[in-house]
Order: sequence, then structure tokens, then C-alpha cells
Amino acid sequence: MNMMLLAIVLPIAAAIVVALVAFRKSALAGYFAVIASIANLYLAYQIYMTEASTSPVVPLEWAGWVFEFALRNYQFSSFILIATAMFGFLLSLYNTAFLKDKCNGWLFHVYFLLTLGFVNGAVLADNLLLLLFFWEGLLALMFGMIYLGGTQNSFRTATKTMIIGGVADLCMMFGIGLTVYLAETASMSEIKVAMEGLGSLAFVLLVIGAVAKAGSMPFHTWIPDAASDAPLPFMSFFPGALEKLLGIYLLTRISLDFFELNAASWGSTMLMIIGACTIVLAVAMALIQKDYKKLLSYHAISQVGYMVLGIGTCTPVGIVGGLFHMINNTLYKCCLFLTGGAIERQAGTTNLKKIGGLGYKMPITFLTFIIAAASISGFPFLTNGFFSKEMVYDGALQRGYIFWFAAVIGSVMTAASFLKLGHAAYLDKRGDVSNVKEAPMLMLLPGVVLAALCLVFGIGNFFTGFLPIGEFFQPVLGAERLGGHDFTVFHANWFLIGGSIVALLLAIINHFAGYKKTGSGIGAVDHVHYAPVLHQMYDAAEKRYFDPYEWARCVGRAVAYIGWGIDRGIDFFYNRIVTFAANGISAAIRAMHNGSHVTYLAWSIAGILLVIIACMTGRL
Amino acid sequence: MMIYPCDPVFFISLALMAICALWAVMATDLLKSAIALALTSVCLSLTMFLLSSPLAAVFELSVCAGLITVIFISAISMIKPEGNDRKEDLVFRKNRRLKKYLPLPFLLVVVGIMLRMIQIDMPALPVADALPVSLSEVMWDERRVDLAGQAIIILVGVFGVVVLFKEYMKQKECEK
Amino acid sequence: MITFFIALPLLVVLILNLLPRKQADALSFWCGMALTVVSGIYVLMAPRPMTSDFDPVNLVLNWKIVTSDLTAVMLISIALVVFSAFWVGRYLLEDENRQFIFNNLLLLCMVGMNGVVFSQDLFTLYVFLEIVGASSFILIALERTKAGLEGAFKYILLSFVATVLILSSVAMLFMVCGSLDYEAVRICLTSGTLDENTSRFVLFAVGLFAAGLLIKGGMVPFHGWLPDAYSSAPTPVSVLLGGIVTKAAGIFTLIQLVRNVFVFEGVSPVLLVIGTVSIAVGAFAAMGQSNFKRLLAYSSISQIGYIIVGLGSGHIIGIVGAILHLFNHSVFKTLLFVNAAAVEKQSGTVEMDKLGGLSNKMPVTGFASVLGFLSAAGIPPLSGFWSKVLIVVGLWKAGAPMAAIIAILLSLITLAYFLSVQRKVFFGKLASGLEGVKEADFRVLVPTILLVLITLVIGLTFPWLFDTFLVPLESFL
Repeated sequence: MNMMLLAIVLPIAAAIVVALVAFRKSALAGYFAVIASIANLYLAYQIYMTEASTSPVVPLEWAGWVFEFALRNYQFSSFILIATAMFGFLLSLYNTAFLKDKCNGWLFHVYFLLTLGFVNGAVLADNLLLLLFFWEGLLALMFGMIYLGGTQNSFRTATKTMIIGGVADLCMMFGIGLTVYLAETASMSEIKVAMEGLGSLAFVLLVIGAVAKAGSMPFHTWIPDAASDAPLPFMSFFPGALEKLLGIYLLTRISLDFFELNAASWGSTMLMIIGACTIVLAVAMALIQKDYKKLLSYHAISQVGYMVLGIGTCTPVGIVGGLFHMINNTLYKCCLFLTGGAIERQAGTTNLKKIGGLGYKMPITFLTFIIAAASISGFPFLTNGFFSKEMVYDGALQRGYIFWFAAVIGSVMTAASFLKLGHAAYLDKRGDVSNVKEAPMLMLLPGVVLAALCLVFGIGNFFTGFLPIGEFFQPVLGAERLGGHDFTVFHANWFLIGGSIVALLLAIINHFAGYKKTGSGIGAVDHVHYAPVLHQMYDAAEKRYFDPYEWARCVGRAVAYIGWGIDRGIDFFYNRIVTFAANGISAAIRAMHNGSHVTYLAWSIAGILLVIIACMTGRL
Repeated sequence: MMIYPCDPVFFISLALMAICALWAVMATDLLKSAIALALTSVCLSLTMFLLSSPLAAVFELSVCAGLITVIFISAISMIKPEGNDRKEDLVFRKNRRLKKYLPLPFLLVVVGIMLRMIQIDMPALPVADALPVSLSEVMWDERRVDLAGQAIIILVGVFGVVVLFKEYMKQKECEK
Repeated sequence: MITFFIALPLLVVLILNLLPRKQADALSFWCGMALTVVSGIYVLMAPRPMTSDFDPVNLVLNWKIVTSDLTAVMLISIALVVFSAFWVGRYLLEDENRQFIFNNLLLLCMVGMNGVVFSQDLFTLYVFLEIVGASSFILIALERTKAGLEGAFKYILLSFVATVLILSSVAMLFMVCGSLDYEAVRICLTSGTLDENTSRFVLFAVGLFAAGLLIKGGMVPFHGWLPDAYSSAPTPVSVLLGGIVTKAAGIFTLIQLVRNVFVFEGVSPVLLVIGTVSIAVGAFAAMGQSNFKRLLAYSSISQIGYIIVGLGSGHIIGIVGAILHLFNHSVFKTLLFVNAAAVEKQSGTVEMDKLGGLSNKMPVTGFASVLGFLSAAGIPPLSGFWSKVLIVVGLWKAGAPMAAIIAILLSLITLAYFLSVQRKVFFGKLASGLEGVKEADFRVLVPTILLVLITLVIGLTFPWLFDTFLVPLESFL
């Protein structure tokens, strides 16, 4: 069997086995999921080690026409594949512990394994329609996983996710339709579309699909809701890791392969504006959150902005930086969510107002948090986040100060919000945490591994120029696009580094100023939160006045009301008028059939005349 | 006898046929209607004979006019009419029906005239000329299947007699 | 071997009547059964095209037979429906003597229909049409009830008109062409040697012929006889009539002649109008019926309208759809009449007002009728859906979108009246007096299950059938 096909089939088969065998036994299902994800990791590794193919492999001839089951081992695909497989493995360990006593935990494992299969499918697919199939499948799985959160609002949030994702995927579906129409092929390795006329529409629609999957604005609003309503492993797996990998993977394929975006085009500017807005607005929301998971979820949105911005710059350094940031972000964000999960499980809540001083009780969790938080804030020279951000800054600066400035502002607020979070959760003396213990081994292990990777990517890059850049990302661009640049070794641009350090210092100053003012870490940014104009805006945002989903729901309600009126009318038409007419005709026809042979003969004779006369005119 | 399609004789037979058909439509009595039908069939056979298709005429006569119709007429006549219609009612119904179907003959005539407009110049029935063979030869050499079919129809007719009469007689005997 | 389709049933009838009556009574059913099964299997297995070479019967008859895939479709349909009619007759007709006569006439009717299918000569066609007609008349009047005789009489009356028309037309065509062989007539009509007046004369003759066949097929406005005949006939006979007789005598012949003999190309407005009007009138009239069999009769008119419309489209897809619908209609209408027979026997009535809630008591029959109705209404993935789709596509491609739209809309009406039947007969509360009803016995379940299977299998394997079975039909066209 083809290795790639196996990578899709194996997790799905494992899911089915779990559903059948480990039915209702969460622990057993968990162990099984671990084994399956190890196998998946092995497969991903094997695929990664084989030579990337230039042409698609078609294991199955499907419905014909453009819809064929084509898979291709594209080198970027294989990277995403191995990255997701690694996250899958780590999270399966984490899940086993986290879901041990949860009811319906086995179902989560089933969804989890299905997700692995579908992700592999989406990444390996070389046919746009096949990609769409897996894409939609993931959406359905997301619905199921959020619903398993089991809180009061889970179903509502799951529906919201489904609708937002569905709208975006619908756009993408149209985009794919247009692209296939324009390119006259659905094979992703052959598609080349010019950015003009319908082509630009197709581009925009496809980009909507990709950035919505990545969780960028304005398709982000379900993520904060999911943070409180979905099970935590979902948060760390989907918004933390998978969504970024998949969304950015597709965005890269779109902008580099299908449309060959260049810096001069409006598409590039559009992406940069989306990226910049996402960075600033989402992080501004993150700043004021008083819930551990919710705060992280806004960061999950905000960080996407850097990637979209980086890819949108269309400069080699920006794109490579964006991609590098993608993997860095998944590492530390996943790790951060895992610490959130540990706290939720051990302390029973993630509300910052009720917890504090956990750093003394859960030292290893605190340590991993510190490393990941430093990474996301871009602590210079040691953390991976620093290097990728520098590259994105570089790209943004080449395109305009404003984008660079937005990115730096984002950094300031990121750092400030993590200072607040760490201070509030781990150091403040608040709440009763005397009974809290360190999380179990299985839950710590993934976090530790991820935090270590953050450091390895960071320090390794600084000292040795090792790093995934040369191996993974530069081939995505190709030699021609790189234009002779080589980013495997860090090129220090002291203007940018200075900017970043200043930003960090600003964040620290702000934190201590706020701390002084309120006396606790949790209130460190209250002076921003309650600043004159910002206060009202924050309130409005908290009440979801800026949520496009809520706007759509309002419009929907109005439409429904009008529709109801129309529906009554139509109902009346069908129930009364149509039925009446049909019965009337029926009765008339029955009355005409009076049973007299004479009548029937007369009809026949009339018919004969008709047929003959018509026939005489030359047509039967 | 050589009759051309446009010959008056041909039209007389056609007209007879039409009249019989009308009678069939207008008769209030089912029996009379059936007899009229049989007569129509006879007229058609006549027409065919005039058109020098004796074979077709024979078949038509045997199949329609002859066997089945007669069987049914007899069968229907054996069934007592339901309810006793009064004479006046019958007359009234006949008049009403007459009024109803009086336009039909006119219509037929109009159509006939329209059809007559079409000049048909048949090459004086070449087939008839080219038929030196006798009827029997035609029957046995070219139309064996049709003859077999005719035999089957008669067989069916026998079953008809069995169904419609024999059982009836039995029933009557039982009643006695 | 092909003339055996005519000769064997005939031989069986003759032998049965020579035998002592006691043995013959028992034998008649099984002989007929064996004949239908063997002929069905033979058609399925025989290499195509079936030929009349090396045919001992033909040494006597000297009959030229040309078969096509269309012939095969018809032969299978005939065998299938006659098979079902045999079972239902055994089930419903209690009088042994009557059953014997019924079986004999059924075989003779089968002879007639097979002859119609085989005939390659207009006059032979006429003779066999008469055999079908005559045997049907007597079958309708089999019970000698007043209603039966009246129905038979109406059928005779209109059939008679049809006979007159057909025979006149045959005479005229003979006059022009000098021969009645299909091939010869076709060459004569299409060679272009006829002058204008003569060709008009020919068209007149063709119109007569078509009108005659439409009467035999029971299309609006020639349909007056059909509901009376179907509903007044004994139910086994209704199975035969509704299942195949009108289609073999009228519709198949019309398809054959229009395509192969008179050679009309392109859309034919007359057929389209008659077809759509038939669909509409049949459907609307069926809506208000209270008699199950009468409703099925009207629905037959409506469904056969689809066949005519498909033929009228003149487009290859439409005609293939029409032929498939012809077969499908044989299957599901036979199925429904078989169900009606079961209902009639078990509950003692086919008046829908007195029925209700039977599907609890008669699960197999209830299920089969749901399936039959859904297939008739064209619900995927049952067989009826595919043929209707083909017809509609054919209409659309032929440039008759209005007819296509009407066809689609009216299938809603079909669904409506079928649902109302289901509600009145099979679903809902059990009607009073039906508490003791039981499922019908195997004599009626055998054909029911066979027909249900055919409906399902054709529906589900349609994509395969389309390639292997329907596309080759083109060869005939």
C-alpha cells in the first residue's frame, strides 16, 4: 500500500477500532490513541525521509473528471505532516491523563484520531476537491470536539464554530470552483492562475478559506468562546497548533504556487493589512482578559497576524519568517495551552481571580510557562519567537513603517499580557491553592518537550545556524524566489533588534507601573483597560458588539422575521390555493368521465381528427 | 372491378360507414349500438373490397364484424337491463343525444371535403395489376402467419363462447 | 428458436384442452408458469440478436423475424407480467373451471403480444393486435358481472374504432407502397420518390394508424375505455391489462412504427401534447378516486403519458428513457395491481374509504406498495426515477423545455395521490371490520417479492445497466 494512503487510512482505521473496541473506556482508548499516534509519527517520518515527489500519485481513480484521489509528497507537506504527527503524539499522551475520568472521553479520542487522518489527507492531497473534502471533514470534527466540552454553552459555541467555518469554507468552495474553472485542472501541482478579473476573486475567496482556518480576523470570534466551552486538549491541538499549520500551509500554497503573488500586487497589501489588524486588535483584547485560557486564545489569534503579515510581505525574509513563526508559534502556543490545561485540572478553574501563587505548587508547569511566555514575547537571542519575529519585522519594514510599527505594538502588548498572566497565576498571593499539586507526569512531559524545543530552536539558531529554516522553509520558496538570500544564519539588523528590546522594556515598565498602582499582578494592565476611550471600546467588545457572527445573527433574525411573513403567504398559497385548484381540476376531470361510452367515443373521434390534421401538416 | 380512390362508389361506401358509426354513437340501446358497430365493420370490409384488398376485407369481417362483436352482442342481450326505463324517458334521452351529436356528421362532412381538396394522383393501383397470383396463393405462400393468427383469433372466440354462454347455461340450469 | 415464443403457448393451450379436464385444471397453471419462466430466462441468456434460423416451427410458418434489444425488453416484460398474472389468478379465482379458462386465455394473450413484438409486417401486426384485443375482451368479461361486461364492451367499442383506423391505414399504405413489410414500407416512405399529394395521403394514413395505436394504448383523449375496463375486470386480468397489454398493443407498436417504419425524426408536437395531456389528466383524475384499482388505472394513463412524451422528444436519450419507463412501468404497475389483488382478497374490498391501516396486518404487501408507489412517483434511487430522469433530460435536450417542466411538476401530483392511497389503505388507523385481516399467502407473495427485487435492483444498479443494457438499445434506434 502506498505510504501516503496509509498515513490517511491508518488513523481513521484506528479511530474506528477505538470506537468499536474501547467503547466507553476512556483510559483504554487513550492508550490505543497513543499507539496509533506513534505509528502515525513513524509513517510521517518515513514519508518525510522519502524524496519529495514532483508529480502526484494517484492511488485511486475516483469519480473521474477533475475529482481524483491524488496525493503528493510535496516537501512542505511532509514538514507539516511530521509537525502535526509530533503534536499528535504529544497530545495523545496529554489526553490520556487529561481525559481519564471524563465521561465521553473515549469519543474525544476517536475524534482525535480521525483528525489526525484528516489532517494527513488535507496536507497530502494534490487535488483541490480532495483537499476540500478533508477540510470540511475537519470542520465537522471540530464541531464534535467542541461539543464534548460539556458546558452549558458548548453546543452554542460548536454551532458558532460550524457556521463561521462553514461560511469561510463556502467561500473557499467557490474559490476552488473558480480556480478549477480558470486553471482547467484541480491538480494543485499544476494550477497557475493569473491575478486578474475572476482570478483575483478566486484568490480572495481562497485566502478567506485559508486565513479563516488559521483563525485570523475577522473569522476568529469562535476561538475565545471555545476557550471556555471546549475541552482543553482541543484548544491546544486546534487553535494552538493544527489550525496554524493547515491555514498557513494553504495560504502559502495559494500565494506562492497558485497565484505567484508579488510585492507589487494588491493581494500582498491586503494580506498585510489583515495581518497587522489581527496582531493589534486581538492582542489588545488579550491584554485585558481575566481568564487563563481566554487570554491564550486571543494570543492564538494575534500570532496568526504575524504569519499572515510575513507571508503577505512577499519578500523572501518575510515569507521565511512567517513560516518559521508558524512552527515556533505552534510550539509555544501548544505548550501554553497545556499549562492552562494542567492548571484547570489541578486547581479546578482557570479564572485568574480565583487562582494565584501556583508557581510554588507547580514548579515544572511554571518553568515551561516561563520558557513559552518568553518565546511568545520574543525574549532576545534565546527564544525561537525572537528570531522569527525579527524576520517578520524585517519583511514588514521593507514594505512600510506602518506594518513594522503595528507588529512592534503587538509585541509590546503580548509581552505585557504575559507578564500579567504569569504574575497573576503563578506569583500573586490570592485564592486558596494549598491543596494544589503538580500535574501528573504524562501531562508535564509534552509541555517540557515543547518548551525544550522552543529553546533548541532559539539558542540553536543563535549559536549554530542549525535550524529548520534551511531544511524546511527555504525549499518552499525555491532558489529563484529566494534570490540568493540565505536565512539559515541569523543576520543581525541592529535597528530591528533595538526596536524589539525597546518594546520589551516598555512592556516591563508598563507592568511594574500597573503593579504598583493596583498592588497585584492581575491588575497590572487595568490602567490600559480603564483608560477613558478604551474602556468603552473594551466593554463593547466584551459584549460582542464587534463580533461579525453576532451581526450576522441580527441580520439573520431580521431576515427570518421577513421570511416568516413570506412563508405564511406561501403556505397559504400551497395549503389553500394550490390544493383547491388541484382538487377542482380533479373533480372536473372526474365529472367528465361519466362512464358513457358515447362520450368516450366522441372524445376519441375528436382526438382522431386532431391527430390526423396535425399529421397532415407534416409532423406527427 | 377496378375502383379508383376518387370514385363515387368509394365515397358512398365511406359515407355508409360514417352513418353506421354515427348510429353506433347515438343508439340508446347497447344492443343496437353494437349492431351498428358490426354494420360499420361490414361497410369497412366493403370499402376494402372495393379497394381490391379482398384479403383485408375477409379478415376485418371475420374479426370484428363477425366473431367478437356477435359474441358480445349476444352476451349483453342476455343480461337484463337494470331498472325499467319508461318509454318517455327513452325518447327524451334520444332527443337530447341527437341534439348533442348532430354537429358530428357536419363535422365529418367538412373534414371529408377538406380531405377531398388534396389531390391524390395514385398510379392506378399498380399493386393490383402486379398481382397475378390467386387469393389462395397469397394466403398460403405469403400470409401463412396471418392465417395462423386468424386461427388463433377463432380459438379465442371459442373460449369467449365458453365463458359467455356455456357457463351461463349451466347457471340457468342450476337455477331451474 | 424464436418462433417458439408463439408456437409453444399455442401448443400448450391445444394440449391442455385435449387432456381430460381434471388433469388439465391442475396442469394449466404449472405449464403456464414453466413457459413464462423459461421464456424469461431464454431471453436473458440467449445471444443477441436472437434469430429465427434453424427454427423447426418456421419450416411451416415461413416467418421472417427480426429481433432487437427492444424486442428482448418487451419479451421479458411480457413474461414477467404474465407470470405474475398466473400467480394472482391462482390466488384470486376460486372457480377451477374459470381458472382454467383464464390460464388458457392468458396464454393466448401472450401469444398475441409476442406476435405483436415479433411482427415485421403491418398486416401481421394487425392480426396479432386483434388476438390481444379479443382475448382481453373475454378476459375482462370473465366474471360475467354487469360491470365486467360493460367494461369489456367499452373496450370493444373503442378497439373497434382503432381496428377500423388501423386497417384503413394498412390498406392505404398498401396502395402506395405495394407491400406491408416494415422494411419495404420504410424504404417506400423515405426514398423521397413520392409526389406531394401522395405523401400527404401517406401522412393521412400514418395519422390514422397512430390514432388507432393511441386508442389501443389508452392515451387521452382515447382513454375512455381504460379506467372502466381495468377496474371492472377481475383483478388478475387487471394485472395483465395494466401491466403489459396496452403497452404491447399500443405503445411498443407506436415506438416501433414511429422510429422504424414511418421514420419521424425530431420533436413531434402531437405526441408531446398527447403525452403531457395524458400525464395531467391521468394524474388529476387519479387524485380523487376512491377505488384502488380505478386509481391505478388512471395512474397508468399518466405514466404511459411519460413514455409517449419521451418518444415524442425524438431525442435518443428521451427514447431510451421511454423504453426503460415502459419496462419499469410494467414492473411497478404489475406490482401495485398484485398488491391490490392481495388487499382485495384479504379484506374483501378495494374501496379505499373502507380500508385503512393494513400495513400492520400485511407488512410485505404494505412495503411492496410503498416501493411501487415511490418508483412510480420517480423517487431515487428506485427504477422509476432513472427512466423519468432520462425522459426529462431527453426532452430538455430535444428543445422541449416546457414539456420537461410539466413532466417534472406533474410527478408531484403523482406523489400526492400515491401518498393519499398509502394513507387511506396502508397507513393510519385500522379500519373497522378489518381486525381479522392476515398477510396474503405465498401465491401472491411470489410475484410481489420478485417485482420488488427487480425495482430495487434496477434502481440501484442503474449506472451499470445504463452502460451494458441501455446504451446498446441505440443500435435499435
